[in-house]
Amino acid sequence: MTGKEHNLDYAALVAASRRLDVSGATQKIKVALLSDGATQRLAPILRTLFAREGVDAEIYEGPFDGIELEVYDRNSGLYKFQPQVVVLLNCVQALRADFLRPETDAASFVDSTSGRIARIWAAIQSNIPATIIQCNFVLPYERFFGNFDQKIPQSLYATVAALNSRIAENSRSRGSVLLCDVESVASWLGRRQWFEDRFWDSAKYFCALDCLPYVANSLVEIVMASLGRVIKCVVVDLDNTLWGGVIGDDGLDGIQVGAHGDGEAFYRMQLYLRALKQRGIVLAVCSKNEMANALLPFEKHPEMVLRREDFAAFVANWNDKAVNIRQIKDTLNIGFDSMVFLDDNPFERNLVRELVPGVVVPELPEDPADYVRAISELNLFETTSFSAEDAKRTEMYQAEAGRREEQAGFASVEEFLQSLDMSMTVGRFDPFHLPRISQLMQRSNQFNLTTRRLSEIECKALMENTSWLPIYAKLADRLSDHGLISIVTVEALPEDLAIRDWLMSCRVLGRGVESFLMNRVVEHAQKLGLTRITAQYIPTSKNGMVKDFFQQFGFDKVAESPKGQTQWHLITANYRPRPTFMKTVEE
Amino acid sequence: MPAMDQTQALQGLTEVFRTVFDQPDLVLHDAMTAADVENWDSLNHIDLIVAVERKFNIKFTTREVAGFQTVGDMAELTAKKVSAAP
Repeated sequence: MTGKEHNLDYAALVAASRRLDVSGATQKIKVALLSDGATQRLAPILRTLFAREGVDAEIYEGPFDGIELEVYDRNSGLYKFQPQVVVLLNCVQALRADFLRPETDAASFVDSTSGRIARIWAAIQSNIPATIIQCNFVLPYERFFGNFDQKIPQSLYATVAALNSRIAENSRSRGSVLLCDVESVASWLGRRQWFEDRFWDSAKYFCALDCLPYVANSLVEIVMASLGRVIKCVVVDLDNTLWGGVIGDDGLDGIQVGAHGDGEAFYRMQLYLRALKQRGIVLAVCSKNEMANALLPFEKHPEMVLRREDFAAFVANWNDKAVNIRQIKDTLNIGFDSMVFLDDNPFERNLVRELVPGVVVPELPEDPADYVRAISELNLFETTSFSAEDAKRTEMYQAEAGRREEQAGFASVEEFLQSLDMSMTVGRFDPFHLPRISQLMQRSNQFNLTTRRLSEIECKALMENTSWLPIYAKLADRLSDHGLISIVTVEALPEDLAIRDWLMSCRVLGRGVESFLMNRVVEHAQKLGLTRITAQYIPTSKNGMVKDFFQQFGFDKVAESPKGQTQWHLITANYRPRPTFMKTVEE
Repeated sequence: MPAMDQTQALQGLTEVFRTVFDQPDLVLHDAMTAADVENWDSLNHIDLIVAVERKFNIKFTTREVAGFQTVGDMAELTAKKVSAAP
């Protein structure tokens, strides 16, 4: 799949099939083709396309129009062949002939035909443990009612459309029945080119010769996905790939992104990538940039669709991209052949192709307006399953990335933390950070001691109240900038310093951010001459992880309500500053 | 499109035949039939027709496709269609 070869020329493929060399194949597969059309040319093209993927495919062609004869006969050639994959290729031309018979009941045609197909699936499954690939029907070109066709349920056109939906529906509860969307292949190529009636009449060819390789290609893509060849991660460049311009040169105001003008193409690209992420494809950044510059649009550009959190890995530096892609691969613990690399720069694409074999590196067109279409046309994201976990994959990989870092062979956690080169930026609430502060206030559930959901206006009031010290903390390290990740607010009372809010993003657990901030809070109390710090923990359904937070810092529990609310006191003189592994940047 | 005679058509057909039947040295004669050319079966016949149509930018009817008896028939009809094309 390295170059994702896209030579789908019919004559070239037929010629190649005559001198096919599968000696280098790493896998074998047995595929049965059952159809009510002719498959004699489909079979060699399939073999050729499979060979390109390193698969030696043995193809069994059932007798013409013998689908049911084969599947209902226990001793049929189909079952003797013991295929791993059975392709059921039903042609709309045959369906049309069936539908247009005078005795056909149009009203029950969808039920009867979809039922017949489902029984065929069941028969195959009761005989062999094969994956079934059911082709759907290409919409016919006859429009007996013109545009009104769609409004007549019993029209041929509406019937075929309904049948396709029904077949899809029936397949959903059957994991081993996959669909080959031949209709989308035909409509993409153009049904005007697709239908070649002369050769249906004389040889039962269901499409023009030139279209046939595209059907074969679709089938191969499905089978390869079923063999586990799936893309899990898209690695993207930033400048001129995710936005127009160069962030390091053009600055935040100079780059183009957003739903207007030159930015539109990049806006669409980001929407496309975000949809991929929601569908379970992990995103990663690989950019030649200063990290701070690379992050800037994600943090500060109002029209960016993608955010830092959408990426499971974020690499921006001046190393060559092959090195960085290897690092991303190790971080995410996936194979090179499950990665796609998107970069507008042909030099970088070639470098990655040369140095990191396996990674899929599509050509990107010169015009960013064509990016999405070019990527989509390659059908890189074929899959054979989708589950709720897919949608959460980014988080899963982020966690995995964290674990792997920790396993990287440090003698101690301290040594590991030291190696991260963490830097903390701490500051009093300011107008600039208020939006993110209130966002974190709204969202943070687990590491949140009191779970007060202060609005932006309430945060602003705290900012202006001089007896309060409301602070935010930002964390960055060698690998990435985590942004604003923690908030602590304290109020100076006559006798005590009271901790009112304490919350942190779980992405930065275990790094000692809380120790760093507790040191700060105690220092603040001492500076104000306050000898005691008071605090409380208010339990919610989600914040059990910080139940003992204050105890860990030497606070004494002085009260506990029946509902589990606890009150804590700390005598500042008793506090031993905790070791931290980060340098400080004041803002 | 300029007029084309049968000899010129035969020259063009030779190229197509060589590719479709995978025989780089194939030499065509007017009297040749499917029996004279290795692999000229019904499948390759369709490949051949489509390749000829593409090369000469013409189209044969179903009856014409079925009616070719010799290479000469094909060359003649090809020349005629090319010459008649606007």
